[in-house]
Amino acid sequence: MRIFLLLGGFFSSMITALPATAQVPAGTAAPTRLVRRWYVPQHAVLQAAGGIGMVSGGVGYGLFRKRLEVDALAGYVPRRYAGREALGIFTFKTTYTPYTIPLRNAAWRLHPLSFGGLVNYTPSRTLNRSRDEKYYDGYYWWSSTVRFGAFVGGRVARQLKPSSNGQPREVSLYYELGTNDLYVVSLATNLSGLKVTDVLTLGVGGKFAF
Amino acid sequence: MNFTMLPFARPAVLSAALALLLTGCELFEFSPNDVRAPAAERDLTAKNLQRLLAQPKPTGGDTLRFVFTGDSQRFYDEVGPLVESVNRQRGISVLFVAGDISDFGLRREMQWINDRLRHLNVPYLTVIGNHDQVANGRQAYQQIFGPLNYTFTYDRTRFIFIDTNSREYGFNGRVPDIGWLRQQLADTVGVRRQIVVCHVPPTNEDFDPALIKPFTEALAQAPCLLFHLNGHATSFSIGEPYADGVTYINSFAFEKRQFVILTAWGTDQFKLEKVAF
Repeated sequence: MRIFLLLGGFFSSMITALPATAQVPAGTAAPTRLVRRWYVPQHAVLQAAGGIGMVSGGVGYGLFRKRLEVDALAGYVPRRYAGREALGIFTFKTTYTPYTIPLRNAAWRLHPLSFGGLVNYTPSRTLNRSRDEKYYDGYYWWSSTVRFGAFVGGRVARQLKPSSNGQPREVSLYYELGTNDLYVVSLATNLSGLKVTDVLTLGVGGKFAF
Repeated sequence: MNFTMLPFARPAVLSAALALLLTGCELFEFSPNDVRAPAAERDLTAKNLQRLLAQPKPTGGDTLRFVFTGDSQRFYDEVGPLVESVNRQRGISVLFVAGDISDFGLRREMQWINDRLRHLNVPYLTVIGNHDQVANGRQAYQQIFGPLNYTFTYDRTRFIFIDTNSREYGFNGRVPDIGWLRQQLADTVGVRRQIVVCHVPPTNEDFDPALIKPFTEALAQAPCLLFHLNGHATSFSIGEPYADGVTYINSFAFEKRQFVILTAWGTDQFKLEKVAF
């Protein structure tokens, strides 16, 4: 569970360090406010577990007043937990966060519900692919490298001092309870033999909007 | 807050938090393809073998009685009733699963099966199936269960478990390992009968065509082979497909809600019973 401490440490250091470092150094000219180009990511993500890597990190964009977020992440599972060779996992994820509850301290906000979906690709050389030339078409109906997932979760966010060019900034921590297509198929075909908790995964992470 | 409640509430809250944390750790999945499992769910073949060899044989004389099943893949609804039924049978030493423990080659599927089969009164042993080799399944199988080829002697019966899922290796000519099989069959010290257990039988198109002849010949020449046990086809069958004196028995898949009890005695006698559950 060292990973929790690492993540916690990373984001708490961000919360404390960033407002200070964001101050304009004395003696320099006030920067002109820059309009962010559309392709420049609006936030960075770091996640632990959740089926997309022991750790995964990436960037993303917020849409519709940041209620909808779209992230691209690269994840890593070290060799020790993958068998013969480490796994890399590339994930596209979209999260919808409909509600915002302001807290007594104006800097903090609670997002009690998030839900979303993801698709990922695991291109490891050591993964025995279910759709290569060893098989005729339809031998295995699923892909062993592409997974689809869905999740629900929640989030707590803290506003930070805006950046020197006036961009609002925020750091948030989230959790996600999720599952994937193959687990859902297993559950749906075994309603008495499997429990919902059998097919759940848990992920925790943080986002830094800049 | 009622303070008088606190001394009672605290342990409850603590244990609830602890339970949540523990399940949380199991839910904390790196990838469906990861092979991370708690120590109690690793090396199950070695642990179950140790249990088998330590337990007194429930049948007298040279009689050996065991349950033969296969292809548990994604039939979790059936495992509970199977376990209950097997636990009611008398004189059973062990249960065998002839491969395809999982459907998608995922570690969690193997854990789900073990979670249910560990409620058997007898130890169970598995051989790897083709479905257990897709994705990262071979690594997961090795982590959760153990070696792909292994052998042991119980009640002077030499059991040889061998990986015959040739198609998963692209018919590379090395699976099944004929040299290893011949070596195991030749070692007859203190052995009165031999039983080979695998997943894909040589009659199937997923068996390396180049190895059918050497494999079946090795079996036909074995000094005291009782029969060859396999899964893969989901329906039960028994026969002598090569007319060479070797009996091939295909297990019932879990979905068929039946299993087979094999009772062996003497050097070459056996009885087969089908049990519906």
